[in-house]
Amino acid sequence: MTRHPVPGAEGLVFALPKGRILKECAPILAGAGIHPDPDCLDESSRRLRFGTSDASVDVIRVRSFDVATFVAFGAAQIGICGADVLMEFDYPELYAPLDLGIGACRVSVAAPEGVDLGDPSRWSDIRVASKYPNIARRHFAARGIHAEIVHLNGAMELAPGLGLSRLIVDLVQTGSTLRANGLREVETIADVTSRLIVNRTALKTRPEAVGAWIARFRAAIARRAEARAA
Amino acid sequence: MTRPGQLPDSLPESLVEFDRATDGGGEPPPSAALLPSGLRDVLPPEAETEARAIETMMGIFAAHGYDRVKPPLLEFEDSLFGGSGAAVAGQAFRLMDPDTHRMMGLRPDMTPQVARIAATRLRRAPRPLRLAYAGPCVLLHGATLDPERQVSQAGIELIGIDDPRADAEIVAVAAEALDALNVPRVSFDLTLPRLAAVMIEQAELGLDQRRRLLHALDRKDAAIVAREGGPLAGVLGDLLLSAGPVPRALAMLMAAPLAGEARRLAERLEASVQAIRARLPLATLTLDPVDFRGWQYHTGVSVTVYAGREQVGRGGQYVGGADEPACGLTLRPEALLRAAPARPARPRVWVPASAIGQAEALRAQGFVTIAGFDSGAACSDAPGDDIAEAARLGCTHILRDGQAWPM
Repeated sequence: MTRHPVPGAEGLVFALPKGRILKECAPILAGAGIHPDPDCLDESSRRLRFGTSDASVDVIRVRSFDVATFVAFGAAQIGICGADVLMEFDYPELYAPLDLGIGACRVSVAAPEGVDLGDPSRWSDIRVASKYPNIARRHFAARGIHAEIVHLNGAMELAPGLGLSRLIVDLVQTGSTLRANGLREVETIADVTSRLIVNRTALKTRPEAVGAWIARFRAAIARRAEARAA
Repeated sequence: MTRPGQLPDSLPESLVEFDRATDGGGEPPPSAALLPSGLRDVLPPEAETEARAIETMMGIFAAHGYDRVKPPLLEFEDSLFGGSGAAVAGQAFRLMDPDTHRMMGLRPDMTPQVARIAATRLRRAPRPLRLAYAGPCVLLHGATLDPERQVSQAGIELIGIDDPRADAEIVAVAAEALDALNVPRVSFDLTLPRLAAVMIEQAELGLDQRRRLLHALDRKDAAIVAREGGPLAGVLGDLLLSAGPVPRALAMLMAAPLAGEARRLAERLEASVQAIRARLPLATLTLDPVDFRGWQYHTGVSVTVYAGREQVGRGGQYVGGADEPACGLTLRPEALLRAAPARPARPRVWVPASAIGQAEALRAQGFVTIAGFDSGAACSDAPGDDIAEAARLGCTHILRDGQAWPM
């Protein structure tokens, strides 16, 4: 496989997720001493790569799932993404050395309100709509049920009502989207918070630089916890 | 009347053509150039660069007393996967031997083969036994980041001795081989693949918890290690974050509350670090005590070799055939050539057919000679055409008046 050299390979690229978690990241980034260009945290900006107060650190803003991919392939060395993404991809090249405690939610199974699903212990297979095909498949396989996955990227909540699937597996924060679409949460697969992730090779080959950033984030998290307790 | 699979007589000719061209509307015919995933043709100049790099490395191994062996590509699976080979069984293609009806495995790694040779045909050879090898291996699956399924290996095994200086020797010999190829930014990441398992064994955790904890340790998922670690949560959490440059990481490991076998592993690692430092005072050494990635046959101190972002080799202590202590290190020529600077190409001189007698002298001077042919439209004795012909064949020089002139 041919690989291309990355310009400025000595600098660090930090991958941040668009959307839900981005705003919650801001105080932790500031606590750790990363001050990205002001439009980085503004979702309406069309830029994808941003400078920071530190000339050797750039920030990229990508979809949550893509944070894991950029960091796993070493295109970015550090990133922030939900534990749901790590569970789904399970990239061996990703380390998750720090729980940031933000973006709390859960990956759950949901079913249509008022529909009798029968006794799940008698099921051989079930059709499930999800943006987490691996998590959903593993969850049901552990119970001896073959999950036939309908892989959707959004609007999972529509699937049971329109006959696309019987269940969905999705990220649930408050449950209001489920309720608004006539669904109820039947089982929590995992509680999820956001993690600081690092590329394995980067940690092995640039331990001082990467290790220093992990330590700064650890300190920032500890200070936040203390401030909350006080 | 049309039978199934036969075209009706009345089908228009254009539609018959279309149907043939598209194989009845199915997939287009595969390109002859398409190879199975993870396999590739190595072309000029890479193929020669790789061959030369392997010979350079083998030359250094030989100079340190490592005698070359050449095990076969295929062998019976019982012997290929016996002993330390069990760890590589999941990555081997298998096929049946039509003679004996026994299953054979295509080697995914050469170390177990060399261990087998040492324990069988070379069992009477004096110890410590030093063996070197080079050759291709085939893996069942490529990794996400490294999709290659055919990988070359070039390595050394030091068999019949358990000594920190033996660990240092294989690291030092590998370092010299990398140095000879001008591979930049080399670092050695030392690990103790059995440490985490031994600690978990000592803590008598349940099977499910053990499995979840080992997976979380492999991913350095601090949150899950804290949740699943039970009595080990604190110490494993600390060790997990201790990974990094040797002085600090080793100090943290030696200060950790380790007992019995775990303490013995840590002390052996400390001794190996000192022995490596004595031989390679300037090498970049990192330590990750709870890493256990890689072939699972390593039992003691292990090492992963990096060059910049490339993982170029791996090795360590293992138990050889007949329970002999051994250690070894395998380099991956493809990966280290991606990390190494390109070698300058040799000058190529175009030699007209009339002057072919002078080519040998040019080769003796280090030129690659490209012989011209007088027949064919592209060639003639007109000097202008010689230059065009030399350029067409990518020559850097042309032979004229008994001398090689730069183009």
